[in-house]
Amino acid sequence: MKHAFLDEYSHLESPVHRLDPRAKLLAFVVLIVVCVTTPPHLYSAFAAYLGLEVALVLLSRLPWKHVLKRLLVVLPFILVVAAFVPFFSRGGGSYNLGPVKVSAHGLMVLWNVAAKSTVSVLAVILLSSTTPFPDLLRGMERMKVPRLLTSLLSFTYRYIFVLVDEAQRMKRARDSRGWSGKWIWQAKVIGHMIASLFLRSYERGERVYAAMLARGYGGRVRTMCLYHPGIPEVGFTSLVVLFPLAARLLA
Amino acid sequence: MHHRPAVEVSDLYYAYPDGTPALRGVNLVVEEGESVGIVGPNGAGKSTLLLHLNGILSGRGEVKIFGLPVARENLREIRRRVGLVFQDPDDQLFSPTVFDDVAFGPLNMGLSREEVAEAVNRALREVGLAGLERKSAFHLSFGQKKRAAIATVLSMNPDLLVLDEPSSNLDPRARRELSELLQGMRITKIVVTHDLPFVFENCERVVVMDQGRVVADGEVFSILSDEELLREHGLELPYGFYPFHRERSGRKTERNPES
Repeated sequence: MKHAFLDEYSHLESPVHRLDPRAKLLAFVVLIVVCVTTPPHLYSAFAAYLGLEVALVLLSRLPWKHVLKRLLVVLPFILVVAAFVPFFSRGGGSYNLGPVKVSAHGLMVLWNVAAKSTVSVLAVILLSSTTPFPDLLRGMERMKVPRLLTSLLSFTYRYIFVLVDEAQRMKRARDSRGWSGKWIWQAKVIGHMIASLFLRSYERGERVYAAMLARGYGGRVRTMCLYHPGIPEVGFTSLVVLFPLAARLLA
Repeated sequence: MHHRPAVEVSDLYYAYPDGTPALRGVNLVVEEGESVGIVGPNGAGKSTLLLHLNGILSGRGEVKIFGLPVARENLREIRRRVGLVFQDPDDQLFSPTVFDDVAFGPLNMGLSREEVAEAVNRALREVGLAGLERKSAFHLSFGQKKRAAIATVLSMNPDLLVLDEPSSNLDPRARRELSELLQGMRITKIVVTHDLPFVFENCERVVVMDQGRVVADGEVFSILSDEELLREHGLELPYGFYPFHRERSGRKTERNPES
């Protein structure tokens, strides 16, 4: 079965794709931290962050459609919550928008959330769309992210779709036997399905562990790193770190 | 030097944690270079036996691999020498990429970076998957997954290859390719399966298991043509399949069909 992959377009050829994942990881994390800690009234700083990201999207040759689609998946969740703030918040001045009152303070909160989440989500999209997930994991390992966490992510990446397929097959088998989901007593069926999915995953976990032991696993996941950071990495990291910092300090 | 069989199992008993007996006194010797099929009905203890060959499970009795007793202090060496391929390749391929999966064993063996890369390339070439290193196992076809699973143990340079239901869920072409792959490998092989024609094609010797015991052990032709024995232990030849037609698989016959 086909699934939308986390790291779609991460195998394109571009200067950004070729970089060591560690450089990208470091740079984007710093960009996000700088952005999130910027006071909301420094509008030009936000313009600079966004401009940098737009430039990087162009440089990495990612299709805009893909970037916007990803953005639309994440942003509404954040914005729906923030969109109500101007109507309920008090303080600052207020504007009359027809029959409803809008508070200036609330508007600032909305702008703050919208700007910061857009810049941050774009940074994550840029990172995940220019770096194959396995390379990202390797980068994290080399940057001393705890092994437990990277192993967890790695197994999730590997098995999430196996699990989705399994659930889908169960759903088909259920529907093929006339399940309509109309009656309250049918809710029990969903509970059973979740339980059985859990049991299957648990058993698979045991088999995977046996397969790991069979190949000499002794508690430490060993991996190989194929990247060597060089001038492009240093250049990229300095640009993505220093430019926003400068923009913020000068704004 | 003293003669050492590849596998020596003597008087092996094993019960699952809930008390269900799985093996009740198994005795089995496999010589080096042999290709042995283990057949039997579901629940006969075949897979349980396999898990004893590299110490994943350990019951009462003795298991020796190339003369080494399967015990804690030998596990490292034994797991290097015994390549165990599980039935579901999704269990065996747990890493983000095919390369990582095939490199997992060699890395655990403590090989250097160059040796690991070399072992991975050799194993992938051998199973015909060179060029797919960077793919995720999720993107492979089922036949490719099966071969990738075999590559994950070949990269450890094993002396004994143990396969659990290798032909299950394969389409006919993938099944034939697997057969050819196995026949091309010169190491000792043990295959557990329900696929009797597959055993006939790939093994010289067959061991029949039922209810946790070995109930028959002999040359493939004589066992598979003993209809009564097969029926007694829940095994049946597929419709239209007769052992007499062995020549059609393109292999030499050791036996005259008329005899």
